[in-house]
Amino acid sequence: MLISTIFNKRKFTLSMILLSIALLAVVPRFLPPYVIISLITVLMYIILTLSWTMFSGSTNYISLATAALFGVGVYTSAVLSGSFPLIVIVVISGVLSFILALLVGSLTLRLKGVYFILFTFGVTALIRNVIQWWETHITLTVGRHVSSPGNDTVYTYMVIIYALTLIFIFLLQNSSYGMALQGIGENEDAAEHIGIDVTRLKVVTFALSAIFMGAAGAVMATRWRYIDPTIAFNPLLSFLPVLMAIFGGTSMLGGPILGAVIFTLLQEYLITEYPYLYMLLMGLTLVIVILYLPGGLLVLVMRLYIRLMIQWAKTRFQWQMLKTRWREEWRPKVSMELAQRRLRLQWRLGRKRR
Amino acid sequence: MKMLEGIGISHSFGGLRAVDNADFHVEQGEIVGLIGPNGAGKTTLFNIVSGALKPTSGTIKFKGEDITGMKPHQICHRGMARTFQVTKLFTNMSAFENVRLALLFGNPERKIGRKEAEKEINQLFAVMGMLSDRHKPVKDMSLAMQKRLEIVRALATNPRLLLLDEVMSGLTPKELNQSMHLITQLRKRGITIFMIEHVMHAIMGVCDRIIVFHYGSKIAEGTPAEVVKDPTVNAIYLGK
Repeated sequence: MLISTIFNKRKFTLSMILLSIALLAVVPRFLPPYVIISLITVLMYIILTLSWTMFSGSTNYISLATAALFGVGVYTSAVLSGSFPLIVIVVISGVLSFILALLVGSLTLRLKGVYFILFTFGVTALIRNVIQWWETHITLTVGRHVSSPGNDTVYTYMVIIYALTLIFIFLLQNSSYGMALQGIGENEDAAEHIGIDVTRLKVVTFALSAIFMGAAGAVMATRWRYIDPTIAFNPLLSFLPVLMAIFGGTSMLGGPILGAVIFTLLQEYLITEYPYLYMLLMGLTLVIVILYLPGGLLVLVMRLYIRLMIQWAKTRFQWQMLKTRWREEWRPKVSMELAQRRLRLQWRLGRKRR
Repeated sequence: MKMLEGIGISHSFGGLRAVDNADFHVEQGEIVGLIGPNGAGKTTLFNIVSGALKPTSGTIKFKGEDITGMKPHQICHRGMARTFQVTKLFTNMSAFENVRLALLFGNPERKIGRKEAEKEINQLFAVMGMLSDRHKPVKDMSLAMQKRLEIVRALATNPRLLLLDEVMSGLTPKELNQSMHLITQLRKRGITIFMIEHVMHAIMGVCDRIIVFHYGSKIAEGTPAEVVKDPTVNAIYLGK
C-alpha cells in the first residue's frame, strides 16, 4: 500500500519516462561504439518486455508468441531489405505483426490458462517451421543478408520505438481500458458481467502490443545483417521477456525496464566472465529473485528508496535541529565573543594612535 | 409487461440435467424470489439468464427481445446486472475503482466525465451506506461488505433488472433488515428484482412472488403465503 500511494503518481512516472528518453537520445554521443551496440540489445529486450507486459502483465494471459511476432518483423525486414527505405520497412513489419497477432489472438484468446500458453508457443514453432520449409523448398535459400544503415541509425530507430512503446503503455495504463484489462486479469467473469467486451479488448490489446515487437524485429534485422529462421524465431525470445518482466516486477512500469536492463547486463557479464557456469548462475539468480522477491527487483529498489527517503527526512530534521541550536545557543555566544574582540581591538588600536 | 421470460430452458453438464425444461417469467416492477434445495439448479439458471452459460435448449427473452446465446456484456448493456453467490470482485483494486469500471463500461452509450462519474459513484455508495469505505482495498473488506459492494457495482451499470444471488446469506439480523429495506427501495427506483435466497424470513417478507425449484425444474409458484401452504414444497423442505 505504502509503495503504491507514494509512487503511482502519474507525473512522477511521466517525468521518469521523458527523462529516460532524453538520456538515451543525448548520452550516446559521448560513448564508444561498443557501448552503443550493447545498448541496442538492451533496448531490444526492453521493448519486447514492455510490449509483453502491455498485454500479459495486466491480463495474466502468459503469451509465448513474442518470438513469432518479433520474428515476423525480422523476416519482413530481410525480405524487403533494399527495396524500400528503412522507415517504410519498419512500418510494414509493425502492420504485419499486428495482423498476425489479430489472427492468433482471435483464435486463442478464448482459451484460458495453460492452453493459451501452449497454443501461443505452438504458433511460434509452426511459423518458424513453415518459413524454414518455404526457404529450403521454394526460394532455395537458407539465410538472408540484410543491408545495414549503420549502428548509429539503428540505435536512433530503437530509441524511437522504445519511446513510442513506453508512451503508448503509459497512456494505456492510465486509461479506462488499462483498468478494464486489469479487471480481466483479476476476474474475467465479473469483467464480462459489468459490460466489458472482454474478447475484443484482449484481442485488440494483444495485436497492438505486437506492432512494437514487429517494428523492433525489423530494426534488429538490419543490426544483425544476416538472419535465418532459427535466428529470427529464436524461442528464447519468447521466454526471456517473461523472465525479465517477472525479474523486474510487473506492478509498475519501471519493473519490466529494470528487469530487462539488469537481466541483459547480467547475461553479458556472466557470458564473458564465466562462460561455462553462465547458465547455472543465471538460473540460480532467477530462483533467488523469485523466492525472495516475489514482487520483482523493483520492490527491492522501492524498499531501498523508501529507506533512503526516511534517512533523508531524518538527516534534514537533524540539520534543522542543528540550525536552531546554532541560532538560539551558539550564535549569541559567538556574536558576543566577536563583538568583545572587535571592541577590544578597537580600544587597543585607538590607544596606539594616540 | 414481461421483463424476463424463459421458455423451456434446459442445460446439461455432461449427463447431469442441471436445469430441465424450465418455464418462468418476471413481470416489470416485481420482486421475484427463486428458492429450492441445494443443487436445484438455481445458480445455473442465473448463469444462463445472464449469459455466462448457453442453454442446451430453450429461449430467454428480456424486455421482449430474444437474448439466448448473447455474450454477458451485451446482456449487461441491455439493462441486466447481477451479483455472484461467491463474490467476484476485482480484489486488488479499491471499492471505488470496482464501481468506476462498471459505470464506465456498463453504460456504453453515455459519455461520462470524471467529475460526473465520481458524483454518481458516491451517490451509489451512499445508498448502500458504505460511503466511508469507498477507498478501501477490497482485500480488506468483510464478506458482508463485499456482498454490498457487488450490489453497488451491479447498480452502476444502470440495470432495469437485477439478479441477486444469495446476497443475504451470512448477514447479522440488523444487516438483514437493512438489506430488505434496501431491496424495497430499489423497487421504488423502478428496478425489477429476481433473487435467489435461502433466508426464508427475508424472502417471505420482501417478495411478491416465489418460484420453487427442485432437480432443475419448477415445482411450485405463487405468493409467499401460497408457497408456504403448498404440499409438494413442504414435502421437499420438511420431508413427508
